Amino acid sequence: MRANDSVSTPAVLEARGITKHFEGVTALDDVELSVGAGEIHALLGGNGAGKSTLISIISGVTKPDRGTIHLNGSPLASSGPFAAMAAGISTIYQELSLVPALSALDNIFLGREITKKTLGLPLTSDRRGMEQKVRDLAADFGITASELGTPVSEFGALKKRAIEIVKALAFNPQVLILDEPTSGLEDAERQVLFGYMRSLRERGVSLVWVTHHLEELFGLADTATVFKDGRRVDTVPVESTSAAELVNLMFGMDSEEFGGGDASRVAHLSTSAGSRVVLRARNLTRGTVVRDVSLDVREGEIVGLAGLAGAGRTEVVRTLMGLDALTSGTVELDGRRLSLRSSTAAYRAGLAMVPEDRKQLGILADLSTAKNVSISRLSTVATAGFWISAKKERALAEKFRTRLGIKTPDVDARIGNLSGGNQQKVIVARCLNTAPKLLIFDEPTQGIDVSAKVDVHTLVRDYAANGGSAILIASEVEELLELSHRVLVLKNGRVVGEVDGIPAAIEAGEFARIKSEVLNLSAAGGAS
Amino acid sequence: MKSSSPLARIMSVPGMPMTFVLIITVVVFQMLNPVFLDASTLGNYITNGIPIILITLGVAIVIMGGGIDLSVGTVAGLSAGMTMFAFVNGAPLAVGIAVGCGTGLVFGLVNGFLVAYLRINDFIVTLATLNIAAGLLVVLTQVQPLQGVDVPGFPELTKSDVFGIPTSLLIAGAVFLIAQIILAKTVLGRRLYAVGISSQAANVAGVSVPHVRLMSFAASGLLAGLAGVLLASRLGAVQAFLGIGYEFIAIAGAVIGGITLAGGSGNAWAALVGGFFLVTLQQGLRLNNVDPVYFSIVTALAIVFGVVFERQVRRVILRTALQRTSALSDQRATTAAASARSAAAKSSEGNDDEK
Repeated sequence: MRANDSVSTPAVLEARGITKHFEGVTALDDVELSVGAGEIHALLGGNGAGKSTLISIISGVTKPDRGTIHLNGSPLASSGPFAAMAAGISTIYQELSLVPALSALDNIFLGREITKKTLGLPLTSDRRGMEQKVRDLAADFGITASELGTPVSEFGALKKRAIEIVKALAFNPQVLILDEPTSGLEDAERQVLFGYMRSLRERGVSLVWVTHHLEELFGLADTATVFKDGRRVDTVPVESTSAAELVNLMFGMDSEEFGGGDASRVAHLSTSAGSRVVLRARNLTRGTVVRDVSLDVREGEIVGLAGLAGAGRTEVVRTLMGLDALTSGTVELDGRRLSLRSSTAAYRAGLAMVPEDRKQLGILADLSTAKNVSISRLSTVATAGFWISAKKERALAEKFRTRLGIKTPDVDARIGNLSGGNQQKVIVARCLNTAPKLLIFDEPTQGIDVSAKVDVHTLVRDYAANGGSAILIASEVEELLELSHRVLVLKNGRVVGEVDGIPAAIEAGEFARIKSEVLNLSAAGGAS
Repeated sequence: MKSSSPLARIMSVPGMPMTFVLIITVVVFQMLNPVFLDASTLGNYITNGIPIILITLGVAIVIMGGGIDLSVGTVAGLSAGMTMFAFVNGAPLAVGIAVGCGTGLVFGLVNGFLVAYLRINDFIVTLATLNIAAGLLVVLTQVQPLQGVDVPGFPELTKSDVFGIPTSLLIAGAVFLIAQIILAKTVLGRRLYAVGISSQAANVAGVSVPHVRLMSFAASGLLAGLAGVLLASRLGAVQAFLGIGYEFIAIAGAVIGGITLAGGSGNAWAALVGGFFLVTLQQGLRLNNVDPVYFSIVTALAIVFGVVFERQVRRVILRTALQRTSALSDQRATTAAASARSAAAKSSEGNDDEK
């Protein structure tokens, strides 16, 4: 089904055959997109589905490996963000890109100021001219003339969005890309923003809207295109679909990767965990991102955290690790209260974490594989607690290289040169070397290839089979269910549901049922 | 790795490219003026350069951990002043030395505490302590002239030989050796590199980033204190503005030696070579009767040259390394993903060649 079928107007923006690889990972694979005039076109998909890459290509920030962007039927002549902007494609990013110290007006015209001549030179900006140009437009989006002269730092999130919209509209774009525009907005503010989006549609502007919140689509978006693993899954008219159908498109099973049989999925995951509670967290609260979360993890048990992006999963485990401070709440490990003061204290107490975003938070790129393995517990390779033995360090790395199947020519080689999957195994080795009582896996298979994924899954299962306790975060629901005994579903920082007895349910052939249960809770569970 | 040439392997160690430049510089100055390597002038210029080189090492340690310490020069000056102040007031040799080193250490700990635990920007903190140390030295010189005492054994720190080797050179040699051993062989050194590479990733891995930061500033302060003691010994009198501007030579020396300001790489040798290069340059200019007013200009030009040179050497090494790894992954490509990765590596090489 093509977008054109559902919209009567001809396409304003078209992406044709867009393909993009990042270091061997296919971010986009031959993707098509077509947006008509005055259409609100939503882009949906899980983390890493390719939405962000696509909008960064459309807005000229990223160059595609293959494929072209067409505006009104003709391809964009030159690339780059300024060329895209000049052609009529504006983008409002998730992170606000306003300069806090400058006034709203100065922000709107930043880099494209209207100037007037002083002493024959265009040196001073023509504030009155600029103000006249946007005054009516600004008023439409709730910005008064006096607010135009106020520094942006004094405004709230909604007003800043409005300023960004005016900034984008001041130059008459045909296409406006909105990346998660409702993030940071309260409910009432969201409704105002949606009103702005409707009035943009009435002006004939085509909107490309990236969102994780399915409930926002209905009654607003015209068309939705769903991405998964860098491919366009489908494009559907929003009025004739349902949240459940979209969820299924977003997270539907990839048959190549996961095989068909339900029972075979859990060959290694024992159906019952131990009874002793290892981790007992109560009423964890961190501002508005983590709200009153309680969870227990038993011996040999893997507890999965499900939820959409921004649900607060990573935030929960970061507080456990002492990386972010809690507002309130307590954590006990093996019955001992944790200080949660620092990551060092967390590791000492017996926690360890394989973090999300391996490149930024995981690897120490310039150090060798061996040094990356030992760093979290150097005492295992040191004499007298401070003197590092290169021999012991190498032997330790060799042990894990064999045990985890890390493919590297040399444990003394820079970890930065390894493939993503092998880097991830090194990070797992680093955590195992601390002999943790509880191990946290945050998106352990993010951005690694299929065979390494299978290896990492095996590592997680073996770890639990040997009595280890773990918390697992995975955006792919299949992965999460295959590797968890029990899943807690988070939304807006709260636990909105729990699905227990997963291995037994899968053995009973109920994989599809529990999957849809988790997905429905993730997308719509609880009051927001 | 095995297939790389021995020269490329040596040159990839921070400090090695500059070692060759230093040797060439010495040879050129020797040809211009054969007095350069005479025992008396050589010993003199080495002894004169040692305080600066110790300061360079201190700054280098902070830089390796991803920070910066601007206060080292004036802290060395104040430490020199405090040592003399102790002697003028009758302190014995050991106490005077301890006072000097202690002054540096206290400044280092204060810097470290403010940066690591109160999370104030290190540039600002050390800019402030730079001026505090400078101001305190002025005050100290107004309390009492910091000169005219004869403490037995003190001048000998910088004016005696052991088997023909200047005593201060032996002290500095020992300090560099210890520093290098700590950096390369101990838990603390390892954590310093980890924090320098990425304080975020080190924190997630359980490294106590504030502790490491504090220790790096403490080391820098202690080395500035020791440098101050040697300065006082050599000069015999401490003036109000001693040490001002030394931080510039020290930071420049560390960078020229091959310690990148981004942090996470470097070694004690690089600091030694970088510092000595600048000291040698000034000595060579002096011996060739270049007017001292040009020293700062020549030094500044040398810094720019040194940094560009370092980067070019590094770039060549990186490119050959990239070609090797892509060849390697070609051989080992068993999965579709692996071959896609090497294709990506190839296309990026292609881009490099086009440039």
